[in-house]
Amino acid sequence: MGDTGTFLMQLWKKTASLALALALLGSASALAQTPKKGGVAQVIVTPEPPMLMQGLNQTGPTNMIAGNIYESMLRFDDKLQPMPSLAKSWKVSEDSKVFTFTLQDEVKWHDGKPFSADDVVFTLDKFLREVHPRWRPIVNNQVEKIEKTDDKTVVITMKQPFGPLLFAMEVASAPIIPKHLYEGTDYKNNPNNNTPIGTGPFKFKEWKKGSYIQLVRNPDYYLKDKPALDEVYYPFIPDAAARAVAYETGKVDVLTGGAVDIFDVPRLAKLPNTCMTTKGWEMFAPHAWITPNVRNGILGSKEFRQAMMYAIDRDFGKDVVWNGFGKIPTGPISSKTKFYSDNVKKYSYDPKKAKELVKASGYKGETIKFLGLPYGETWTRWAEAIKQNFADVGINMEIVTTDVPGWVQKTSNWDFDLTFNFLYQLGDPAIGVSRSYVSGNIAKGNPFGNVGGYSNPEADKLFADAAVAPTPEKRQELYTKVQQVLAEDLPVLWLLELEYPTIYRCNIKNLVTTGIGVNDGFRDAWKE
Amino acid sequence: MGMARFLASRLLKGVVVLFAIAVLNFFLIRAAPGDPAAVMAGEAGAADAQFLQQLREQFGLDRSIPYQLGVYLKGYATLDLGYSYRQQRSVAAVVGERLPATLLLTGAAFIISLALGSLLGILAAARAGRWSDSLITTAALVFYATPLFWIALMSQIVFALKLGWVPNVGYETIGAHYTGLARALDIASHLVLPALTLGLFFTALYARMMRASMLEIAGADFIKTARAKGLRPSVITRRHIARNAILPIVTLAGLQAGQLVGGAVLTETVFAWPGIGRLMFEALVQRDYAVLLGVFFVCSAMVVLFNIVTDLVYRVADPRIEAA
Amino acid sequence: MGFMSRFAANKGALVGLVLLIALLAFAVLGPWLYPTSPWRMVARPFTAPFVTDRFLLGTDTLGRDVAAGLVHGTRISILIGFVSTLVALLIGVPLGALAGYFGGWIDDALMRITEFFQTIPSFALAIVLVAVLQPSIYSIVLAIGIVSWPPVARLVRGEVLSLRTREYVQAAITVGQSTLRIIFSQVLPNTVAPIIVMASLMVASAILLESSLSFLGLGDPNLMTWGYMVGAGRTRLMDAWWISFFPGVAIFLTVLALNLVGEGLNDALNPRLSRGRE
Repeated sequence: MGDTGTFLMQLWKKTASLALALALLGSASALAQTPKKGGVAQVIVTPEPPMLMQGLNQTGPTNMIAGNIYESMLRFDDKLQPMPSLAKSWKVSEDSKVFTFTLQDEVKWHDGKPFSADDVVFTLDKFLREVHPRWRPIVNNQVEKIEKTDDKTVVITMKQPFGPLLFAMEVASAPIIPKHLYEGTDYKNNPNNNTPIGTGPFKFKEWKKGSYIQLVRNPDYYLKDKPALDEVYYPFIPDAAARAVAYETGKVDVLTGGAVDIFDVPRLAKLPNTCMTTKGWEMFAPHAWITPNVRNGILGSKEFRQAMMYAIDRDFGKDVVWNGFGKIPTGPISSKTKFYSDNVKKYSYDPKKAKELVKASGYKGETIKFLGLPYGETWTRWAEAIKQNFADVGINMEIVTTDVPGWVQKTSNWDFDLTFNFLYQLGDPAIGVSRSYVSGNIAKGNPFGNVGGYSNPEADKLFADAAVAPTPEKRQELYTKVQQVLAEDLPVLWLLELEYPTIYRCNIKNLVTTGIGVNDGFRDAWKE
Repeated sequence: MGMARFLASRLLKGVVVLFAIAVLNFFLIRAAPGDPAAVMAGEAGAADAQFLQQLREQFGLDRSIPYQLGVYLKGYATLDLGYSYRQQRSVAAVVGERLPATLLLTGAAFIISLALGSLLGILAAARAGRWSDSLITTAALVFYATPLFWIALMSQIVFALKLGWVPNVGYETIGAHYTGLARALDIASHLVLPALTLGLFFTALYARMMRASMLEIAGADFIKTARAKGLRPSVITRRHIARNAILPIVTLAGLQAGQLVGGAVLTETVFAWPGIGRLMFEALVQRDYAVLLGVFFVCSAMVVLFNIVTDLVYRVADPRIEAA
Repeated sequence: MGFMSRFAANKGALVGLVLLIALLAFAVLGPWLYPTSPWRMVARPFTAPFVTDRFLLGTDTLGRDVAAGLVHGTRISILIGFVSTLVALLIGVPLGALAGYFGGWIDDALMRITEFFQTIPSFALAIVLVAVLQPSIYSIVLAIGIVSWPPVARLVRGEVLSLRTREYVQAAITVGQSTLRIIFSQVLPNTVAPIIVMASLMVASAILLESSLSFLGLGDPNLMTWGYMVGAGRTRLMDAWWISFFPGVAIFLTVLALNLVGEGLNDALNPRLSRGRE
């Protein structure tokens, strides 16, 4: 199996470097050219989203489409540096406690009504506080008050220093919604949810269920020369193989991350006038792992968890199952996220060591049930490969499949031995990382909490202190420590920093320029 | 039994069956793990207890099961199929929007399979026992015996990608905004591959039934009489045997209407055809109870109606009555 | 003409029989031909077929031997076909026999139930059943059985209805044999022929149904079946055709063989029909 991996890795490196060179060439020349007006883009997003009202729904497909309809205070570049969006400028007080946002002038809602600081205060203080599962803990635990000082200025005051707040100003985390349409209504059953009104570069036009969503250019967008494209269509094609054929026949222009089978990517990337990039996911930095349910027998043993980690051929997972995409993680924090440290205990593929540890742990051959993740074939193949890795060191594993609701149900009720999971890191460990490890987050009903049940007061304290430490240096010190603790304990088995390739026609320029890629990419994109 | 009484009793029986199906489906789908709130949480990649609680309240899932069943049945009694909170629209609107596409697909597939199947069946029966009989039945079987989704993908690669004759997926060209005849032709070109894939799958079944039915009728007394009268064999085959043999096929095809809708689940998925087969599968994995129950109900009602119609046709044109 | 000679007169049926025997041989000898697990990643992924002797049919996306999968898949696919048909027979035969034998309200009630199951689109019901029970070989077999029994019940009912009026059954009733005994000893044995014909076709449909479920992600993740292989390889039809082609051919041949044999049995067991061939 080793030689397989090496071979593929070499193959992959060649393709990747070529693609990278092409992408660099592409972006360099794109900068030099002036955007051309007009044109239509057909973009594959999968599956069909449940709705486009981004304040109420933050599923991946919703974000990919609605991020071009709604806007938030800030955008982020691929280094996760904040850039202006609805906030023209912003100021953070020395102690990271007072955040002042100055809004753009002349912004209008899609229905023609003017946008103002009232909309921002209503959204952050009322609307999202009630409905947004990620904003709610921040606003309830960290925020002292949200107020407007004039029509163009909003001030957020924190209870204690909270640097990560800026990251919560990303469009899926805090999309600004129109106060005049939502105030005093039943948010979830508001009729406007079906005809979303935002401030963004594109307006919602039509949704033919089962077929496509159509967005059209917002002629009154506050940036006069944007957007360039006239229309963006999102056709829905349920089968991955059919999506690839649709791209090849020229029916669609963009395959967003996850739209095609990862095995199909190199072939598609080689097609004429085709570009590929893995950028545009830096904000999410999806981190994939296996969660052991530490309440269940042998899985509570640290030796056994370490044995599993040594048993899994993570390079095979990356090079073969994920076709070379991604990076092997060292711990809970992705190398793309702030405060990452690789100064931790490392685990290589070592079946011999795994066997010793299995023996030391007192494992008696009991069957361990592995709950697969119902997010497509790649995850299924991965589970199959890991099952073989485990069989090699004498661990009996049985795969259990289910659909999405079944997975959520079982995971959030702790009804599993092992399960895959992957979570977005969202820029800052305080927002996207600690939630999976702290004991305060052990509660049934939330599949994205600490479902494995790992509980370590030391880690709890480190995470809590790191979130509110006053300086970045102090935060780094605490996060490095907690990464070391977790790498030793292995509350979960980190497998891969996932990378999602976006495949698109090279004549679509400036598509992926931010840390969330196509999600807000059509503001700047143009077609040659 | 008079026609009116027959019709009344068939309709009544149909209603009873539909009622039973409605109740069974209600419990069946609620037995599946997870609920719509869990799905939304899973899709969002973020959730807390309050989020789930809000959704369950919104979906009415916090009420007791008997209460939910009561609301559901009361709605159905007045032909109100309920409301999809996930889609924020009435189920009638959700299903109604998708139904025409499925009717078009299954209708086209039905005609293809019935026409081709009967033709092949007649040809095979005429050559019964000879090698050409086996050849015809085997050829018809190719499309039945190969997994439908494989045929579907293969046809996309060959006819859409390599030959470029027809589009591979979808209902119409997105963004073209055709009207009138141009739109009809556009839809027709999109219909070709899915209708053939689904139609050819059922062709083998009808060919087999037709063959058997032909052979059976050929042995019947009234045919012997016709032969004794000295009618030409081709006339006997065409006028007497084939005509009478096709009636049971139509009846069986009526019973198969449900199968056709079932087959549409796969066909619509692979060809991105916006019909209710795909809607059903999507509603299932989203646990959109109201939509799933609505699709099941509409499909079942269609099958019941279809069966009643074929029964009527059969009664009006009973071959034996004509033969006598 | 006797049964055997009538069957043998049908060339297609003979070809089908030979194919079927070959497949059963593969199913039985599978573990001996390929003793290791078909899930093992044994070579470079995407090794083309007919290039190396060791991996005659090539390897799949993870470097698993397609030939090993095919042979192990034979066992599971055929097992699923037969067992789910058995389940359908276990439900359909007694229901049909009771309905046909007793008639009246029992018949009416049982036929309503049958109609009920025929009205729900069967594939859709199978999908829901597997989703509810969670995908595993048991739920798949059960679901296929549950959606395929109604035609059996109808067939048996029809046969029993006509047999009931025969003299020997009437005689048995007159001498006071118990109802159960009459059904089992006098009636059912005479319905065996058409049931066998139907069952042979049901095995074929069951194998197809399993492949469709597998395609939708509702297969048993721990068992290698042909349906799984075709479904998993379908995204590579363009450049690694062998991954899904060989199992596809296996399904085709099996279904074909069962159909041909079924057809042959039908003609051989129903001499009435072959009169049409004069």
